[in-house]
Amino acid sequence: MTLAARPIEARPLMRRLAIAWEPYLYSAPTVILIVTVMLVPLVVGISYAFRDIQLLNPFSGGYVGLAHFRELWQDQAFFEALRNTVWWTGASVALQFFFGLILALLLNVPFAGRGLVQALVFLPWAVPSFLAGLNWAWLFNPVVGPLPHWLFALGILSSPENILSDPNLAMWGPIAANVWWGIPFFAITMLAAMQAIPADLYEAAAIDGAGPLQRFGSITLPFLAPTIAITVLLRTVWIANFADLIVVMTGGGPADRTQILASYIFTQAFKRLDFGYASAVSLVLLVLLLIYSLLIVALRQTVLNRS
Amino acid sequence: MASIDIAGITKNFGNIEVLHGIDLDIEDGEFIVLVGPSGCGKSTLLRMIAGLEEVSSGDITIAGRRVNDLAPRDRDIAMVFQSYALYPHMNVAGNMSYSLRLRRTAKDRIAQAVSGAAGKLGLEPLLDRRPKALSGGQRQRVAMGRAIVRQPKAFLFDEPLSNLDARLREQMRAEIKRLHAELGATSIYVTHDQIEAMTLADRIVAMQGGVVQQVGTPLDLYDRPANLFVAGFIGSPGMNFLPGRYDAAPGPAVILADGARIALPLDPGLAPGAEVTLGIRPEHVALGESGGMEAGVDLIEPTGLGIILHLSLQGVGLKAFTADRGVLNSGPSIRVSLPSAHLHLFDSAGNRVALR
Repeated sequence: MTLAARPIEARPLMRRLAIAWEPYLYSAPTVILIVTVMLVPLVVGISYAFRDIQLLNPFSGGYVGLAHFRELWQDQAFFEALRNTVWWTGASVALQFFFGLILALLLNVPFAGRGLVQALVFLPWAVPSFLAGLNWAWLFNPVVGPLPHWLFALGILSSPENILSDPNLAMWGPIAANVWWGIPFFAITMLAAMQAIPADLYEAAAIDGAGPLQRFGSITLPFLAPTIAITVLLRTVWIANFADLIVVMTGGGPADRTQILASYIFTQAFKRLDFGYASAVSLVLLVLLLIYSLLIVALRQTVLNRS
Repeated sequence: MASIDIAGITKNFGNIEVLHGIDLDIEDGEFIVLVGPSGCGKSTLLRMIAGLEEVSSGDITIAGRRVNDLAPRDRDIAMVFQSYALYPHMNVAGNMSYSLRLRRTAKDRIAQAVSGAAGKLGLEPLLDRRPKALSGGQRQRVAMGRAIVRQPKAFLFDEPLSNLDARLREQMRAEIKRLHAELGATSIYVTHDQIEAMTLADRIVAMQGGVVQQVGTPLDLYDRPANLFVAGFIGSPGMNFLPGRYDAAPGPAVILADGARIALPLDPGLAPGAEVTLGIRPEHVALGESGGMEAGVDLIEPTGLGIILHLSLQGVGLKAFTADRGVLNSGPSIRVSLPSAHLHLFDSAGNRVALR
């Protein structure tokens, strides 16, 4: 207070500089951290996409312009991985959301022992993803796991074989593991949003004549819509990049039928050691996800503006 | 429109009984106000009539049909909530027409009903707005409009004016009364505000502790309160209570703690020496008359309409209300008397002893 009361001209130059720099000094550690661990790698990574970077080739490293992207355009494996990514992400998010919403609706009804059940239901979320992947791979293995035998008994499989080695069914293995693993996320967020809906709205609707389904449609869903939009966005971006389960369970096989872009990038970069090409694929994936995010955010904004 | 009969209703929450056998017959077209302090069970009773709470025992009958096991939507009632409970993602017209749309009413009938209700409540210019763009009073009107569009058998109001400021509350109170006169629908109205109860009700049901204390017209409850609770709850400022003992000779009278003798207009038939409570409303306390008792003036509250004096009569607090501004200049003490025509008498159990 006493400093502020003094006229500025009266302060020595060093002191004036110190005051001017003070806020920047306070924020410097964070800014430096963000720049060094996020911004610099991002720029370097993007620059790789336009350079020929192969770890085992000492003559590589030169600027190649758009050569990687021209190669990408001809790359059947890339488009197959892109298709698989859409399939893997779409099925995983849709099923996670569907079961998560049902779970949240069940947990939103009072019953004895609800607290305990709520805590238990969220356990899968705490399991490391690669452990979940290994366990599910074993569950699908007819030698040690029960699932093929059950599916055979139910008539879904014609013989108790490992679906992970069937090119037409293999993707369902990682999807099943991913759904099991990701349901709690949707259940938590949906439950939190549901508990914020005023109870008297349901009572008013019940008196107005709405049955359970109509109450869900005209109160629960409109209230959940903004949360649904944001969680679906987050999960989509996350799952599209989420290669752990696939690398652990199928390694992208059989015959690349479970290869998604994230695991393709992993294969290009760390198996073929072609960092330049892997960066180009990453850049394409980044742009696609950005476009998708913008669409969802715009959609959410229109929904919010409407209500 | 319908009559509503409530017979021997009880309500338990776990092991705690909160309503102890309520009996109430509500006639077709009647405006009933359930009034009492918070926690007296009035809202619970209303919610049981609406079907939002289960009935533990007893019967609720609407228009001759037992509704205990009917879902709220099958009871043909409408309810106005304290929080309004408007659907935030629907506009005013959508809120009002929701119940009709659920019943698959024809579009032109819906439009007709909505514009009719909007006309009655002055909502026509707001039909396209969403609830968040409305003021508290407008939301209240929409909540009422939602109730009246489908012409239910009965209206239930759960403290509908509690969230409004004083002036708006007064305005909406009159509007509800006008609306009831116009529609003539059976209405049950819950409030803790005794002024709302007095002004709106055909009959008031005063409740405390899950028990009906008195049922009667507003002036019944005001003039002949059945017990100390009703006497103290109805009226503002509240009735004065003076503890004393009954004395039969030479004439029927109450001897107050300080020995003052207050004559009663007739013999109430009590045993001499019985502990009683004498009640008198502040506006009936006579001031400045010769021959009365000497009372100290503790506090003077001018309300504009009149003046409330806080007096102490031999250590017992006594409030007096008068329209005479002359008392503003009274000294530290004033003469008061308690006219026998306006006295109320309560026995040791707190129940009314008839003096008229």
